[in-house]
Amino acid sequence: MTSFFEVILKRRSIRKFRDQEVEEDKIRKIVEAGIWAPSAGNMQPWVFVVVRNKKNIEKIKAMSPGMFDLPAVIIAVCRDMGLAGNFEENISIFDVAMAAQNMLLMACDLGLGACPVRSFNQKAVQVLLDLPEHIVPELLVTLGYPDESPSPPERRKGVVFLEKYGGDGWF
Amino acid sequence: MNDGELNKEFFELLCYVLTSARGLMDEPKMYGPFRLVDTASRIISILEKHGIADDFLAEERKKIDEGKYSVMESEEKFKEFLDRIIQDFAEELKKS
Repeated sequence: MTSFFEVILKRRSIRKFRDQEVEEDKIRKIVEAGIWAPSAGNMQPWVFVVVRNKKNIEKIKAMSPGMFDLPAVIIAVCRDMGLAGNFEENISIFDVAMAAQNMLLMACDLGLGACPVRSFNQKAVQVLLDLPEHIVPELLVTLGYPDESPSPPERRKGVVFLEKYGGDGWF
Repeated sequence: MNDGELNKEFFELLCYVLTSARGLMDEPKMYGPFRLVDTASRIISILEKHGIADDFLAEERKKIDEGKYSVMESEEKFKEFLDRIIQDFAEELKKS
C-alpha cells in the first residue's frame, strides 16, 4: 500500500491521457474525496459537475486554453455564490481549492492522472454546463489514465522558517 | 475531405483563440507567446489530419509539441525554442 506521503510526492499534473474510460466507482470516490474537504464555517460552498460524454468534453476543451489533451472525464469544481455570503465570499475560494486538492490526491492514489485547469472561460463553461449565474466554475479537474510521467519540478528552497521569518529554517 | 469535420475543427480552434484572447487579459505574460505557438501547433494538426500539411510542417509540429512546455521551466529556454522554430521557418521560406 502506498503511504499518504508517497501519494503527495507522486502526484503530478498530468496533461496527456490514454484513450481509456475511467471506471464510475473511481470517479465517485474522487468526488467523495472532494466533499470531505475542510470548509470555513462548514459552509461547503462547492458544486461538482462530472462530465463524461466525449462530445461535451470536446466542447469544454475548446473553451479551455489550459487543457491540452482530451481527458476521459472533466470535473467542474464550482462555487455556489448563493452560499458564499459576505464573510464567506473570499474564504470560500479556499474551500473549493481544498476540495479540488483532495480530488487530485485521490485520483493519484487510484492510479489516475489529473490536472487542475484554471485557464478556461468561466462564462463559456457556465453556458455549456447550464450552470445558473450563482454557480461559478472555479477549476476544471481533468481526469484519465496517464500517458506521460513528468519529472517532479524542483521545490523552492528557503520557505520554511522556525519561530520568525528570516531566521533558522528547514528545507 | 470531410468539410463538416474541417469546419468543426476550425470552429473549435476559433473558440480556443477567442477564449485565449480574453484569458490573456488576466493571465501571466508568458502565456501569450505560449498560446500563439500552441495555436500554430493546432493549425498544423488540423492540416495534418486532412492531409494538407507537408513534411516540413509535420516535423515542425512535432518540434513545437516537444518544446512548447519549456515555458514552464524557464523563459530563456522557451525563447531559445521559439528562436529555433522561427529559424526553421525562415530557412523554409527562403527556399520558396
